[in-house]
Amino acid sequence: MVKMERCRRRLGPGVEFYCESFQAPPGAQMALWGPSGCGKSTMLNLISGLLRPDSGAISVDGVDTTKLGESQLDRFRGERFGFVFQTFNLLAPFSALQNVLIGMRFSDTLPSAEWKSRATHLLERVGLGHRLHSKPATLSVGERQRVAIARALANKQKIVVADEPTGSLDPKSAETVMELLLELCREQTVTLLLVTHARELAGLCPTQFDCSDLVREVKS
Amino acid sequence: MSLWHIAWGYLWNRKFTSALTILSVALGVGLIYSVLTLREETRKRFEEEGQSFDIVVGAKGSPLQLVLSALYFMDTPTGNIRLSDYEAIKQNEDVEAAFPISMGDTYRGFRIVGTITDLFSYTWTNPVSGEKRKPFNLAEGRLFQKPMEAVLGSAVARAEGLLIGDTFIGSHGFIELPDGVREDHVANPYTVVGILGPSGSPNDRAIFADLASVWDVHGQKHGTGEAPPGETDAADAPLEVTAVLVSLQSPTLRFQFVEFVNDTYNAMATIPINQIQNLYASLLGTAKSVLLSVGYLVVVISAISILIGLYLSILQRRRDLAIMRALGASAYEIVGSVLIEAFLVTVLGVIAGWFVGNMASWCVGLYLTRQYGLTIDVFTMLTNEQLVAFSIVALVGIVAGIAPAWQAYRTDVARDLAEL
Repeated sequence: MVKMERCRRRLGPGVEFYCESFQAPPGAQMALWGPSGCGKSTMLNLISGLLRPDSGAISVDGVDTTKLGESQLDRFRGERFGFVFQTFNLLAPFSALQNVLIGMRFSDTLPSAEWKSRATHLLERVGLGHRLHSKPATLSVGERQRVAIARALANKQKIVVADEPTGSLDPKSAETVMELLLELCREQTVTLLLVTHARELAGLCPTQFDCSDLVREVKS
Repeated sequence: MSLWHIAWGYLWNRKFTSALTILSVALGVGLIYSVLTLREETRKRFEEEGQSFDIVVGAKGSPLQLVLSALYFMDTPTGNIRLSDYEAIKQNEDVEAAFPISMGDTYRGFRIVGTITDLFSYTWTNPVSGEKRKPFNLAEGRLFQKPMEAVLGSAVARAEGLLIGDTFIGSHGFIELPDGVREDHVANPYTVVGILGPSGSPNDRAIFADLASVWDVHGQKHGTGEAPPGETDAADAPLEVTAVLVSLQSPTLRFQFVEFVNDTYNAMATIPINQIQNLYASLLGTAKSVLLSVGYLVVVISAISILIGLYLSILQRRRDLAIMRALGASAYEIVGSVLIEAFLVTVLGVIAGWFVGNMASWCVGLYLTRQYGLTIDVFTMLTNEQLVAFSIVALVGIVAGIAPAWQAYRTDVARDLAEL
């Protein structure tokens, strides 16, 4: 369960993010929808602990993440959250398999003896069993995003946050990637929080959260 | 995937710049290593030769010049002393053995040393290692039995291609002069009768002959003690030797004996090991300090290049660091991976530098062997001084990684992921 209550974060002079209340039950597939600049990504960053709120409460699986220290928050994020970014964000020097393994290295969820077999299994599951040792530069954009999906699920994360995951893909790859993401999250009972400005993409998720009025002007 | 794997991955990803940084560290380390090695090895070799005799007696002048000329065949002699002084010294009860040497000529730059055959059976014990040393070992032929027969040092035979039975003509003086200027003793050719085995000492670069050969070549009468009618002044002059190499009954008698010789004869006695140690402490000590300073300066410059290399690399991969933070890496793990990179660059630089330093020492060693007959051992165990120098370099390299690591620590994950 992800919860956000009266959460405030200053974005710049006279501008702030404010969310009165947000809730995503376990296993939910929810689209955070709204136009560009409305605060969707800020909300995702606050939920995942990449940003800290100035005030308010955020809880993930009953843990108040605003109370965690920096290192605790880093570990918590690695164990609970998987990320799928618009620009894939794979680490260029490392192969597809190593990119997935690096995600596991920074978490204590799985014993190290299981890392390789799970990473290989996930890459096979996303159709990249034959590209395990390929570097990101040699993969197509669709393949790169599939590696990112495998990495996002490597630690048996409970929540996957996907920020415009099809933004850099051609329509065919976008369709394949979205199908795969939804299917895997459903299969592994993972909460999916999908940020998008595209209504039709948001429509693929059973529930939507309208982020249109999360950023507001305030007196300095 | 450990932090070491990750650090190595990034180093490998920018192979060329990493290699250049490693090379700059290696050059600094190589310079430091070769300075320390050459200094230590030459000191050992010089001191070893310096300990082969307790005392060197020669004409009054510079004691260091006397030692360098008589033991290392490197400098011009201080002059000559009377043969009668040598004979008196030899009879002294404190003297275990005394060998006269007489010099004045060279053959193609190699010194012709007149002496007695007893010198070839001389042995001594290294007081530090306890090792028994025999500086002269005949590899071919025999020792000289009469004037104008010569025994060659191994380097002379090799360099000049001289074999047993060959003849050669010595030239007056201690430096090699061109034809026309050179004063060759054409009337007195030497015949090679023996060749010494390599000893790694200055003896390898000398030609040994009977003492009388040197007198004969320079027109000094010897044997009966009377000059034949019509001989020159030189023939009438008392017989002389250039120096006397003395081994005492005990090294504890050295100072006492030096005093005795200086007070009794028109000659100067000196303790060779003291002269060599003074030379190292003064002149070569300063040279070493200068070269070491240059070496450490290169290391500091290398450290700055590590810092710049890593710093630029951190700036270029801010996004990667932000991704790792998003994946759960703590700021400390990020700092750790950057410091490991600095450590790897430095350690690889030190290893490469050790190799470069050994190769440089080997090259300089070849020159020293050819020029002075001194051998330099390379790829030996590290000395404490070298270990300390390497540790300082490793520390400097890691310190150079701190600023980039701090930059990495301050990664603003959300901003870096959004900005790029």
